[in-house]
Amino acid sequence: MMALCCNDIVAGYEPGLPIVRGASISVRRAEIFAILGPNGAGKSTLVKAIAGLVPILSGTVMLGDEDITAVPAHRMIGRGLAFVPQTENIFANLTVADNIDLAASIMKVDKRRRLPEIDDLFPDLARQKGLVAGRLSGGQRQMLACARALVTSPRVLMLDEPSAGLSPRLVGAVFDNLRQVRATGVTIVLVEQNVKAALALADRATVLVEGKDRITGPSGDLVSDAEIAALYFGHGGAGKAA
Amino acid sequence: MLQLIADGLIVGSVISLGAIGVTMTYSILRFANFAHGELLTWGAYLTLTVLGFVVALGGAGPMQPIGPFSFGWPLLAALAAAAVMTALLALLVDWLLFERLRAHGTAIVLVIASFGAALAMRNLLQFIYGTLPDYYSREIQIAIRLVPRDVMGGMRITPDQLFVLALTAVTVVLLHLFLTYTTLGKAMRATAHNPALARLTGIDVRAVIRAAWVIGAVLAAIAGVFSGLTVQIRPGLGFDLLLPLFAAAILGGIGSVYGAVAGGLIVGLAESLSVPLFGAEYRAATAFLVLIAILLVRPTGLFGERN
Repeated sequence: MMALCCNDIVAGYEPGLPIVRGASISVRRAEIFAILGPNGAGKSTLVKAIAGLVPILSGTVMLGDEDITAVPAHRMIGRGLAFVPQTENIFANLTVADNIDLAASIMKVDKRRRLPEIDDLFPDLARQKGLVAGRLSGGQRQMLACARALVTSPRVLMLDEPSAGLSPRLVGAVFDNLRQVRATGVTIVLVEQNVKAALALADRATVLVEGKDRITGPSGDLVSDAEIAALYFGHGGAGKAA
Repeated sequence: MLQLIADGLIVGSVISLGAIGVTMTYSILRFANFAHGELLTWGAYLTLTVLGFVVALGGAGPMQPIGPFSFGWPLLAALAAAAVMTALLALLVDWLLFERLRAHGTAIVLVIASFGAALAMRNLLQFIYGTLPDYYSREIQIAIRLVPRDVMGGMRITPDQLFVLALTAVTVVLLHLFLTYTTLGKAMRATAHNPALARLTGIDVRAVIRAAWVIGAVLAAIAGVFSGLTVQIRPGLGFDLLLPLFAAAILGGIGSVYGAVAGGLIVGLAESLSVPLFGAEYRAATAFLVLIAILLVRPTGLFGERN
């Protein structure tokens, strides 16, 4: 059984104006799956639709064996699906500790067990718990956003462009964290513009064009497929795309 | 001088409690609710109604005052019941009007609707209670001299006014503890900052909206009763306070609860201190001059976030 399966999703902010036009993805358990594609392909809209933030006009979303197509956004995390938006993904007016603690309290997580695990996963944050989150650096903000999402022990973690606005060194740090998260058994779906880094991180990827998945396969195959790279990334190889 | 400060703090207490509701509604629902003043009026009148029932059921004649105060336990019991009723009224107005408009309307639609709601609520209240002013108690209070006359003009204050100041301080501290340490309080702050992220965190934003209405209405009822206790109860009580409420909320930094408290006290003090300088008829204008001066220096208000 797949961890997350989207079938023929049509989604958009306005009825009659779909941005995602029949996208299907299947993500295996504990794999890292990248959604790639040119600007305006509908990548972010697809993950927002899966997370319940954008209306799904047709199609189905299955989380394991549960149909979550019509589940409202605030109940997704309780079903085991967490989403980290690209921007404004932390509560800048709360402390680092409160950002993490709030999610844990709402989901009635066993904090004695889970908070030390989160501290181990994000030691940089553990040292700054009393700091107001708005004062964190870009990389720390991404890590806090991940920590906030992971404290509820989701089965699937979706991230929208976690490398956006970060220096290469910080992208490396964030992606290293994602590898550690995957090692704990969490399935990761990420939308990325940074094609080179995403394919180096992901096990498999799909390329979305004009709201529809055009090709899906192992990352290694996509990296070496010059025709696909030329068609969807605008040059001769994904290895140069970042 | 000291007397003016004391008077300003008393007026500021009422404004602060009302401004908290204005700023909470704005930060969580993203619109300026011009019907909030009417919640103060309804809170004051509902307390008067419940007080009548409580005293009548007691069967012991007029309300017996507690110690030096002009009111007795029946008023506090009536205030508790009226606060609940005012909260229910706020939820009813939200359900009938604002919730439907939030689904499709823009902020300006909600603002205009709040003007309409204010008119409807005020006229309904006048229809039920009439236009004549009223009082919770006819007891005559003797002001206590706290500071001798030879120290900056001295200060006299009535026990009721002391009660208003003390209960305002207790209410603000309780609200601070609620917002800082409880899950619902943190969820309200999180929703005010980013509603979409709040939903992704598992927060039921509709429940947070209901909580904001309830807290705002309860504080409005308390402010209304304080105003009725220290001045008088009249149908225009809330409407007359509306501009100071907004001035306080904006001065403190719209969206900031602590800013609303500070803004309320500053507006109250500015109004009071301006009386010997410009005359009582210009007290409201002076408060707005202070508002403009502070906004020129800090456009986001005293505690407002810079975006």
